[in-house]
Amino acid sequence: MKIGKKSKSDMFWGYLMIFPTILGLIVLNIYPFIETIIMSLSSTKAFGAYEFSGIQNYVEMFSSQEFWKATWNSIWFCILTVPVGIFLALILAVLLNTKIKGRSIFRTIYFLPMVVAPAAVAMVWKWLFNAEFGIINSVLGTHIKWITDPKIVLITCAIVSIWSSLGYDAILLLSGIQNISKSYYEAASLDGASKVKQFFTITVPMVSPTLFVVLIMRLMASLKVYDLIYMMVDQANPALTDAQSLMYLFYRESFIAGNKGLGSAIAIWTVLLIGIVTVIQFIGQKKWVNYEV
Amino acid sequence: MKNLKRLFAGALALGMVLTTSACGGGSDSSADGKVNLTFQIWDVGQKAGMEAMCDAYTEKNPNVNIEVQVAGWNEYWTKLEAAATGNKLPDIFWMHTNEIYKYADNGILEDVSDIVETDNFSDISLKNAQGSDGKLYGVPKDKDVICLAYNKELFDQAGVAYPDDTWTWDNLVTASQEIYDKTGKYGYMAYADDQLGYWNFVYQNGGYILNDDKTKAGFDQPATIEAMKFYIGLQDYEWCPNQDYFGEQAPGTAFLSGQGAMYFEGNWNLLPTLQNNPDLNGKLQIAVLPKAPNPVSGDGRATISNGLCYATGANNPNAEVVKDVLKFFGSEEGQRIQGESGAAIPAYEGLEDTWVSAFANYDIDVSPVLEMFDYGVQSVNNASRPEWKTKVSDELLKIYSKQVSIDDGLANMQKIIDEASAG
Repeated sequence: MKIGKKSKSDMFWGYLMIFPTILGLIVLNIYPFIETIIMSLSSTKAFGAYEFSGIQNYVEMFSSQEFWKATWNSIWFCILTVPVGIFLALILAVLLNTKIKGRSIFRTIYFLPMVVAPAAVAMVWKWLFNAEFGIINSVLGTHIKWITDPKIVLITCAIVSIWSSLGYDAILLLSGIQNISKSYYEAASLDGASKVKQFFTITVPMVSPTLFVVLIMRLMASLKVYDLIYMMVDQANPALTDAQSLMYLFYRESFIAGNKGLGSAIAIWTVLLIGIVTVIQFIGQKKWVNYEV
Repeated sequence: MKNLKRLFAGALALGMVLTTSACGGGSDSSADGKVNLTFQIWDVGQKAGMEAMCDAYTEKNPNVNIEVQVAGWNEYWTKLEAAATGNKLPDIFWMHTNEIYKYADNGILEDVSDIVETDNFSDISLKNAQGSDGKLYGVPKDKDVICLAYNKELFDQAGVAYPDDTWTWDNLVTASQEIYDKTGKYGYMAYADDQLGYWNFVYQNGGYILNDDKTKAGFDQPATIEAMKFYIGLQDYEWCPNQDYFGEQAPGTAFLSGQGAMYFEGNWNLLPTLQNNPDLNGKLQIAVLPKAPNPVSGDGRATISNGLCYATGANNPNAEVVKDVLKFFGSEEGQRIQGESGAAIPAYEGLEDTWVSAFANYDIDVSPVLEMFDYGVQSVNNASRPEWKTKVSDELLKIYSKQVSIDDGLANMQKIIDEASAG
């Protein structure tokens, strides 16, 4: 679109229209972001007082074992949730796209977890996974310490996370699948391609732009995981440090220990981490995302 | 990037404090000369009691109007800190020993030394209302202790004598074993907790968590180490669930469902527990805490005694009225109304019985609670506690999960507290 010949009046109205959004962005996002950077370079005291202290918070952060553990926990959580979650969402989307009875009911059911408050989700799952009285152990006949075994706790959280995001991702992918022209499948069927072959050679490449968006969103959300772990893993849980994500550490440092400077440094580190992962994604997408429909 | 929004929810909240005044609400004087005050508390169970107290005051002072507001415990402190930062504190609010140093030492609270009649309150109550400088920054509200809660029914089933004031730690162990052997239920449930757990044992044994001038920890003291080893070691018995179990359900929950026979409970939770679980009536009984059998010093008795106070912000525009209200809250009349509502044990000496009367409809003898005030120990605190609190509790969890040995863990706890307290 060329804007060379647009009148000044149009420009004015354009800016006026986006002004509320821009204002919101500045007040709610950009200003706090800058403030966070400043705080990460300050030694903070209670009630908003702080003084500049250079990179001291970062030095403290990088020399803390807890911090590296939390970083790894966040990355490990991504590895656990993203590939499996997206693969399942894609399968689900394909299934929801077939002509079955009560299709819209199924779509609603799968979407429901997204609507339920994460805190409520975690509360229910916490009891399902309870080692002593939980239904999962009693059905499986096992005595697995789902929530308190340091090696298992993040896998448990990952299962709940996948469960809650599955429906939302599937609906997004479904919209991408529905944009694929039927003629491709008809042609493939005539040539004798199996359903599986059609899935990998038509569906996956054609839905890849949507898949890419879902992937980016899911990675960001997983690296920032906080509420789920906070609700699932109690303060008295011996596996706490093995489940503590970066954002959980941020919360504990900032709001429990009252060290907002260090907390801000952790937040900035998380932004960088997400930034790096996202940049890699955007470079990698050239190899597999197909924008030609 | 849109996702910054969620990422910086915390920073955002701080930013908002600077630009809006959504939190709390200061006093104002309306046109008709009436003074409207706000009163912020965190316990919804005490709202009626607080309102009754306010009504008694406003009846005599019709020109004052007090509105009681409740916010949940966690939300309360986030809200109060934001309000203090934005200079929009409620006119009157509850203050807790965990937080009082932070508020008092930063000049947020008004010095109320002139309106507190110190003769009416115990030393512990007064200490719980002091800042680091020793001045009173709150009017003592209530006091509490930790007691031994037990399930009478399980004791009957096992044929074990009920706990009483002759009990030592040894009785706790043998009774637990017997209950476990005869009923298959857990005995005393010991878990990773400070105020409701190891603090009591450490002080009973003559040890300490913080020294008298609150500059150094006591985890290197033989008495402390001995008590910690005893307490943590309880989970090695078959009759005590391990920390994994308590990571999923609190001892209170296990007690309610009849899974365990004993646990330490704060007296403030007794009435709500009975109110919310009518079937516990008669089963839930309490005793004084078992004493240390061979204390390194002292008589082996101790219980952690904490207390809240009523505070107001420095530079309140209606300071005179607010102080008059606070004075009433600290008076015999105000404290009596609080006690009779069952809200809490009044800090005012001699009014303890008013709280006991709130249990008239239940089959429970709460008098052991009052006995224990004789040897109560002030809840452990210093100005840097927020800094070391989570680190110490993480370290304790590492000991429980055997990631560090108990000796190394205690040495680490000592180091964490000493370093935080020095800075």
